[in-house]
Amino acid sequence: MTKSRVRVRALLCAGVAALCLTAAVLGYVLAVHAQETQRAKTLGQKLLCVCGCNQILTACNHVGCTYSHGMLKELDDRVARNEPDDLTIQAFVQEYGPTVLAAPPTTGFNRAAWVMPIVVPLIALYLFFEVVRRWRQRAAIATASGPAVSAELLARAQREAGKDDDEQR
Amino acid sequence: MDIFGSFALILAFLAAAYTFAAGIAGAITRRPLLTRSARHAGMAVFGLVTLAVASLEYFFFTDNFSMAYIAAHSNRALPAFYKFAALWAGQEGSLLFWSWLLSTYVFLALFVNRNKHPELMPYAGVVMAGVQIFFLTLNNFVASPFGVLGGPDASGTMRLAALGDGHGLNPLLQYPEMVIHPPMLYLGYTGFTIPFAFALAALLGRYPGEKWIHITRRWTMIAWCFQSIGILLGAHWAYAVLGWGGYWAWDPVENASLLPWITGTAFLHSVMMQEKRGMLKVWNVWLVFTTFMLCILGTLLTRSGVISSVHAFAQSSIGNWFVGFLALVFIVCFWSYWLNRDYLRSDNTLDSLVSRESSFLFNNLILLAACFAVLWGTLFPVLSEWVVGNKISVGPPFFNKVNIPIALFSLLLTGVGPLLAWRKTSFDALRRNFAWPVIIGVLSGTVAFAFGFREIYSLICLILCVFVTLSIASEFYRGARVIAARDGSNILTAIGDLTMRNTRRYGGYIVHFGMVLIFIGIAGSAFNKDIQMEMAPGQSLAIGPYRILCQNFDRVANSNFESERATLEIFRNGRSEMMLYPERRFFLASEVTETMVAVQSKPLHDLYVVYAGRSPETGKPVIHAYINPLVKWIWFGGIIVVLGTGLALLPNRRAALVLKPLAEQPWGDTVAKSASPIGAIARSSDAHD
Repeated sequence: MTKSRVRVRALLCAGVAALCLTAAVLGYVLAVHAQETQRAKTLGQKLLCVCGCNQILTACNHVGCTYSHGMLKELDDRVARNEPDDLTIQAFVQEYGPTVLAAPPTTGFNRAAWVMPIVVPLIALYLFFEVVRRWRQRAAIATASGPAVSAELLARAQREAGKDDDEQR
Repeated sequence: MDIFGSFALILAFLAAAYTFAAGIAGAITRRPLLTRSARHAGMAVFGLVTLAVASLEYFFFTDNFSMAYIAAHSNRALPAFYKFAALWAGQEGSLLFWSWLLSTYVFLALFVNRNKHPELMPYAGVVMAGVQIFFLTLNNFVASPFGVLGGPDASGTMRLAALGDGHGLNPLLQYPEMVIHPPMLYLGYTGFTIPFAFALAALLGRYPGEKWIHITRRWTMIAWCFQSIGILLGAHWAYAVLGWGGYWAWDPVENASLLPWITGTAFLHSVMMQEKRGMLKVWNVWLVFTTFMLCILGTLLTRSGVISSVHAFAQSSIGNWFVGFLALVFIVCFWSYWLNRDYLRSDNTLDSLVSRESSFLFNNLILLAACFAVLWGTLFPVLSEWVVGNKISVGPPFFNKVNIPIALFSLLLTGVGPLLAWRKTSFDALRRNFAWPVIIGVLSGTVAFAFGFREIYSLICLILCVFVTLSIASEFYRGARVIAARDGSNILTAIGDLTMRNTRRYGGYIVHFGMVLIFIGIAGSAFNKDIQMEMAPGQSLAIGPYRILCQNFDRVANSNFESERATLEIFRNGRSEMMLYPERRFFLASEVTETMVAVQSKPLHDLYVVYAGRSPETGKPVIHAYINPLVKWIWFGGIIVVLGTGLALLPNRRAALVLKPLAEQPWGDTVAKSASPIGAIARSSDAHD
């Protein structure tokens, strides 16, 4: 094998290695970017734009909105810095107030927002079963008791029943 | 002309007041003349409010900018189509429009029942007049649309003023659906006044039996249908105009329109219990009351500015009037109920938990839970501010988390209910009716899961949609099979025959099928994709199966707006498929810029493209593209719902026996051949009841 061939082969190997490395780095960068974009999107859906449009931050497309662009950029920066989600959300609350949160937090009085839609249907369900139970009870009593019979009528029936018994005997 | 309109409105108010007073006097003294004159005055209100509306429309079409309302909501360049719709663009005009729709309903209710229900109609007329008085008070004394521009001159004399041109219509409203959406929604809101009036009248007059239910069933269905159309058109407008890629944002005003729709739906189901079994009388009366009160609450939320919303009218003191009216309505309803509660005793009780009755009860419970969750989420920001002093936002994540399970449970009941029998369902019947729908539903879910369908709610929704569709189909099939076997007709003819014999029941099933399609469309949103990119001409972006190539950006203009427009070529599988032109329009009169979305809608997905403007940093145009799966199913489902409701409104066609004389035969033959002593055969014929 000549020296030049060895050199060409070495160069080729180095080239392939460099290409692989570049592809790996590029792939990693793209994956991290995609992950960051996805994370930013997920976090953005937990926040509202504060321009008054009441829209999710990532969905606000108001023409000339002076808030959403800056807020999204800030969110991207924080995600790129790999800041924890809680800290990012907290930072937004500090900066824009609690109305920036798209859903009420599960602390203090705001817990009621989450609890009531579960508790009220449960109470309604209990009432439903209670009403059904009473209805069925009432129906059972009505069937068992039958029409009211006066004492006089009852005595006559008993007398006649006794007479029949005597006759049968 | 402005005096003409104002005068007509004042007269309408006086006529409504007379209807109210004379109606009460007539009901107490039982003098037919008074009752009749009250009815005529009630009908005259319609004519007078129509004159006021016509007068305001005249000002719009003649560009009379000395009128404050015209100057604020119209301009010379506005197309005639939108000038007509500008009537309901602002607070004052929309309240007048509301009064007009209400008076139309009242006129029709009084006219249709003019010779019927003499015991009930005077009370109903009084209640309807009471509601009209409230709205006409607003039209006349609180938010008159006939205000003129002007002020005192140097000498203190009042002078009229006129603008050269108006401020124009809100650009968001310059979209064809906005011409139809508000009237539909208002027809829903105002329409619920009629069942409310009849329910309250029946209670006050202790009207016997379930007659008021029969009288108001069609009115309720008409109002419900309009409300459904209004909600769906609103969703479509939000989708096509607001440009954020979705159709429902759980905005307070959207929620306000949903609330009476939910209770109206519950009422339409629970009335069947009262009609068939004499049950749930208290419940039904309160459902109607609640539906009406939620209509008023919705109006309050839209107009008071209590809750911030992109839809709401400017903040105004008009909310206090609505709060007062709402309180008054509640007091009257509660007082009437308390006085007459013994009249609302149930005739029957529930025989079994596995019955049609209990499914209706569950259905009502679920719908009320959904209504409560939406109302709670809508009002929670106000409540939070009152209790802890700081306002909190309640946005889509909350509503989706709370309402999706409720909606899925309600979908399940849509399939279960029709398969259960009245009174009690045997185990055998349960197995027979449920086996196939359940098996195929679960199988389809398994197949979807195997193909990588992993969104849990969408998966459950798919299983339930298959189950409900099959249960509906089996209902049609079972009934049609009997008719086909008896008449010897084919199954399709038998299905048609079956449907027309019980339009209410089978129309209801078609409505349920429409709801299934809507659910499928909503479930598709779990698979939405979007991408946003700065694009110069020649650049392209890829989303889903599409490649979007930016060809150029240009400007177009007319007398109403100037537009910056992107020309995008859409490729699919390397082949050019279509051109899309998303725009940003600058409306000259109002000096407001809005986006115009470009949508390519297909049965499986929509390609939705927004020209989001230029990047503040680079100055390059930004294109935001979305792939929204199955959105078309929502609109198609909506059409099916409307058709089903229309069918349910038709009278039943029923089989009748008609005696047909035999052809003349010798006496002996007739006696020998005819089994019937009168020598006639019976054949089936169709007739309307």
